[in-house]
Amino acid sequence: MKFDMDYIAHNNALTESNPYVKLFLTIILLALTLILDNLYFDVIIFVVMSVVILGVAKINYRSYLKFLSIPMAFLVITCIFLVFFFGKGEVIYETGIFGIVVRSDSLHYAIYTFMRVIGCLPCLGFLALTTPIANILHCLESLKVPKILIEIALLMYNTIFIFLNEIDTMKKAQETRLGYHSYMSSFKSLGALASTIFLRSLDKSETLQNSLDSRGYSGELPVYVPKKES
Amino acid sequence: MLEVKNLKYSYNKDYQALKGVSLKVEKGEMVSLLGKNGAGKSTLFLHLNGIYEPDEGKVFIDGEELKYDKKSLLKFRQKVGIVFQNPDDQIFAPTVEEDVAFGPLNLGLSMEEVQNRVEEALARVGMSGFEKKAPHHLSGGQKKRVAIAGILAMKPEIMVLDEPTAGLDPQGVTDLSKLLNELNNEGITILISTHEVDLVPNYANRVFVLVDGLLIGEGTPKEIFAQPEILEKANLKVPIVTELFQKLEKDGFDMENDYPLTIDEARDKFLELLNKN
Repeated sequence: MKFDMDYIAHNNALTESNPYVKLFLTIILLALTLILDNLYFDVIIFVVMSVVILGVAKINYRSYLKFLSIPMAFLVITCIFLVFFFGKGEVIYETGIFGIVVRSDSLHYAIYTFMRVIGCLPCLGFLALTTPIANILHCLESLKVPKILIEIALLMYNTIFIFLNEIDTMKKAQETRLGYHSYMSSFKSLGALASTIFLRSLDKSETLQNSLDSRGYSGELPVYVPKKES
Repeated sequence: MLEVKNLKYSYNKDYQALKGVSLKVEKGEMVSLLGKNGAGKSTLFLHLNGIYEPDEGKVFIDGEELKYDKKSLLKFRQKVGIVFQNPDDQIFAPTVEEDVAFGPLNLGLSMEEVQNRVEEALARVGMSGFEKKAPHHLSGGQKKRVAIAGILAMKPEIMVLDEPTAGLDPQGVTDLSKLLNELNNEGITILISTHEVDLVPNYANRVFVLVDGLLIGEGTPKEIFAQPEILEKANLKVPIVTELFQKLEKDGFDMENDYPLTIDEARDKFLELLNKN
């Protein structure tokens, strides 16, 4: 299954609901989770927000799992490192390999970090999966976030899709010619892909600049206020 | 209306993309610029609203010379709208309506006026109801329409389209030709680059042929398609209908030097030939 977060954000039961509410809810819950730093609270937040995402926003559970899986992988790796390689406290478990030990404070750090992320992820997921980026940017705009940040975010967001598409197409073209058949050829193909994508990006950015200039771009993206629906 | 005089431009020392191009387009015309890939069509187009500044030569819009200071550029870019070949290069906003509003907002119009223009332009290209959609969720033909709406909303006098039919399905091509014809009838001067010769006689009343940075032919589609040497230099062919009649001539039918270019012309000619025999 292809995971398209943007498509989900545009097509769920909460897409049309007030983006300010969603944004503030997310920020408040994130702050609460971090400030309280309580294991039970983390679990509660995780359960509640997951229920909201799956039940209220009616997002397909497989998409949600996919959304969780990517940061989860990073989280697990980070926590493994935390457990075995950090801390100065008393030794509570000796692995017997290269003198690697688990210390009381490192275990504590790892558990708390893990749970904190577990609590925060669905909060962010709630915003990211239910709100189209345009709405989020508009909120930030009216909240007086510096314009330059919003403009960069907007242009990046747009180009990410073109970029991913290019990578996808090129990768398929390479696979068609067995570019990833062996380890060696995988390295070579990936290198070629990276350098080509860099050159293409430069090219694309120039064309985008030309097309923006053609429509009178003055270095600042103007804000459009749609008609109120009567 | 639009005049280009002896335009020269090089990307670097070794490669001169335009080697002295002069052409003139009158108000209300629908003109086609033919040429193979890399002939300099896109380069020429980017000179028409001052994106590129020529090494030599001048561009005139409405008899006024194109200047390259900020204020004049804005004025000329309102008058000459360019629709890029790949809509992804042009559409950048997260929603359709914001993208269409981009040009008019840059012109400094009031929000109410911009809203009206967005509504009007989207209706004009048949994309009403897609205002809040994200452009990357649209099909190729729909994106093209949004790109055209973005230019229409600036109310240009001249619309320049770089290979507008590239990548469209047959129905998309038919719809687009129809739209362009309508826009032309409403008074917009249109300049189209293409190498799809079958379509050219359907809309263009005049044709330019560009080869390696030089114009080598100019005339009505009839005149141009009657000159095999020009077509050969430009890597072009006659429309498929015309080819049929050229072959029929070899079989002994007298065409009196009048080869049909479109399906309608071909039908008339056929009936004429049938009645004769």
